Amino acid sequence: MNVESLSERGARARRDEEVDVAIVGAGPSGSVAALHLARAGLSVVVLEQGEWPEYNDYTGARPEHELVSTKLWHPNPNVRDNPNDYPVDTSTTDINPLMFAGVGGSATLYGAQWMHFLPSDFRVRSLDGVAEDWPFTYEDLLPYQLEIEREVGVSGLAGDPAFPPRGPYPFPALPMGSVGLRGALGMERMGWHWWPGSNAIPSEKFGELNACVRRGTCLTGCPEGAKSTTDRSHWPLALKAGARLVTRARVKEVETNEQGLATGVVYVDANGRDRRQRAKVVILCANGVGTPRLLLMSGGAKNPDGLANSSGMVGKRLMMHPFASILASYEDPLDSWRGPFGQQVYSLEFYESDERRGFVRGSKWNCMPSGGPVGMSGAIGSKVYVAEEGRFQDFWGANLHENVARRFGHSLIWGIVGEDLPEEDNQVVLSKDLVDSDGLPAPQIVYKVNENSNRLLQFNIDRCLESVHAAGAIETLVSTPVRESGWHLIGTTVMGDDPKRSVVDQWGACHDVPNLYIMDASTFPTSGATNPTATIMAVALRNTRRMIAERRNQKVA
Amino acid sequence: MSKDKTFLALADFLIPAHGDMPAFGSVCSFADAQKALDFRVDLKEGFDRGLDADPALSAEAHLEKLNKEDGAAFSAVTTVAICTYYMNPRVRELLGYPGQESVQYDSKATQIYLTDGSLGHVLARGRKYRPTPGL
Repeated sequence: MNVESLSERGARARRDEEVDVAIVGAGPSGSVAALHLARAGLSVVVLEQGEWPEYNDYTGARPEHELVSTKLWHPNPNVRDNPNDYPVDTSTTDINPLMFAGVGGSATLYGAQWMHFLPSDFRVRSLDGVAEDWPFTYEDLLPYQLEIEREVGVSGLAGDPAFPPRGPYPFPALPMGSVGLRGALGMERMGWHWWPGSNAIPSEKFGELNACVRRGTCLTGCPEGAKSTTDRSHWPLALKAGARLVTRARVKEVETNEQGLATGVVYVDANGRDRRQRAKVVILCANGVGTPRLLLMSGGAKNPDGLANSSGMVGKRLMMHPFASILASYEDPLDSWRGPFGQQVYSLEFYESDERRGFVRGSKWNCMPSGGPVGMSGAIGSKVYVAEEGRFQDFWGANLHENVARRFGHSLIWGIVGEDLPEEDNQVVLSKDLVDSDGLPAPQIVYKVNENSNRLLQFNIDRCLESVHAAGAIETLVSTPVRESGWHLIGTTVMGDDPKRSVVDQWGACHDVPNLYIMDASTFPTSGATNPTATIMAVALRNTRRMIAERRNQKVA
Repeated sequence: MSKDKTFLALADFLIPAHGDMPAFGSVCSFADAQKALDFRVDLKEGFDRGLDADPALSAEAHLEKLNKEDGAAFSAVTTVAICTYYMNPRVRELLGYPGQESVQYDSKATQIYLTDGSLGHVLARGRKYRPTPGL
């Protein structure tokens, strides 16, 4: 079986068939749950609003790449304007949420930077007196992290002193390239932490994943089939194990019975017809925006504030990791269009709290290539490095040529991911006037970057400028906070032991609806400062294993 | 003025000759721009609007007007111009840009940071993480 043939496989459940588990979303967490539940012999149907990725549509190897990717593969669904996505009301947010609907989920457009949360991320209340501790520890999750790495095909180098000792990665770290070496040089000259990048991109062929060839277009879909997304890493195995996948199936409601137990979901199929999928257990894996949106749409007359929302916490505490970027240019060539785009080097020098800095918690830095000439022109695309007040002439004419000559092929980008603290005012609500292509209310994001984040970013920007100058930078351009940076959608159905203050328990089961589970990053009590996919998949595996072990004790309708 | 002449005038103002780099019109044609536009049909309407020029205006004045009054048209014209230019093989050759190329490597090769001592310095600086309290 190969990936290209998978779209022909998997069938909708028979009309009125009740399956053991219905999963909403075929992204990282839904795919993990589907694979392991199917392997355990449970009947599983996954409903995915998007479609299978079409690898020929990834333009990374073709000349028109930069032209096409700024629209077709833009991470903001409002820019992409694809009817499979839902629009997002961003009129009340400082940061735009980024996501993608399809088999593989938003990881289709991620950089594949693979980072575990650190021990302190699970104990922020105990260590730093803010937010809440998680109901479990780094050590509880580590075995699942390592198992997921083997499923995903991660490349990296073990031994990083920023983490407790751990076993080796499945594959050797990808080459750093000139970009990574220059980034590391600056950190070395400052005496700061750096480490070769760990990425969900195997450096050798692994199952349906090809070895990375450093094409450098990870963020816009990998035409090589080398970036690990679950359409390649998990779905071939899940389908073989018997899981069924229905694409272009937009779930509009989780249904419950008189006893308040979930009985299944209603979804809109590819032809616009409402269909019902009955299930003993429902799992939501629709990301930190889609999951609360669905719960808020599912309340009905019995629950006007939304399903599973007796705590009032559904949609609240949205965290999106305020992000800053520093583009640094150097005299000598760095071949800075070459990948991997994920992270060639990372630094956790400023990850842990230090009260002398004037803020709590910290950051992760990742060093990336800067891409092709159009992006370096500053004239179109993300406009990350274009001043809002800039006259258009500043980016055209002789200035265009000079900007491109100085930056293209000679620059690197440090991305700074700051931990986002949970605040109840930062939230997902239902838009009153914006709807998706099926007429369902779009989510509205209400979000402000808080003072702690602003201080955190400024401190880290100042340090990063010291590092790049130590390595000989001749020009630096800073963007903060980057508006188009809401990759990490976290915290909107928080887990906890207290049903009055949380939506799900530590295993992802809703306090109010015991056979309704949530397994995406919505449940995270805090955000850490690392890219969350590794932790999302590990938590999903932990929850799934528990569900399998306790299946005979599971309360169902 | 015809649309092709209008576009080339605008494109040459946006991307003139400079140093070793040629002006837009000396390496790219209006037909090239139209081929680029086929990849971005969402830009066609704005592009057409952007070429509806007042003959009395200079290229710069026309672009200034578009930028102030019709951002979508300005964006369409400039996006097509710059992407067409940097897709051109001669321009890429002058820049030394082979495109997003495939690069082969030996995944098992010993990386330089393992032999030049730099990673050793990181290790020598010691543990960075804070352990889980109570363990």
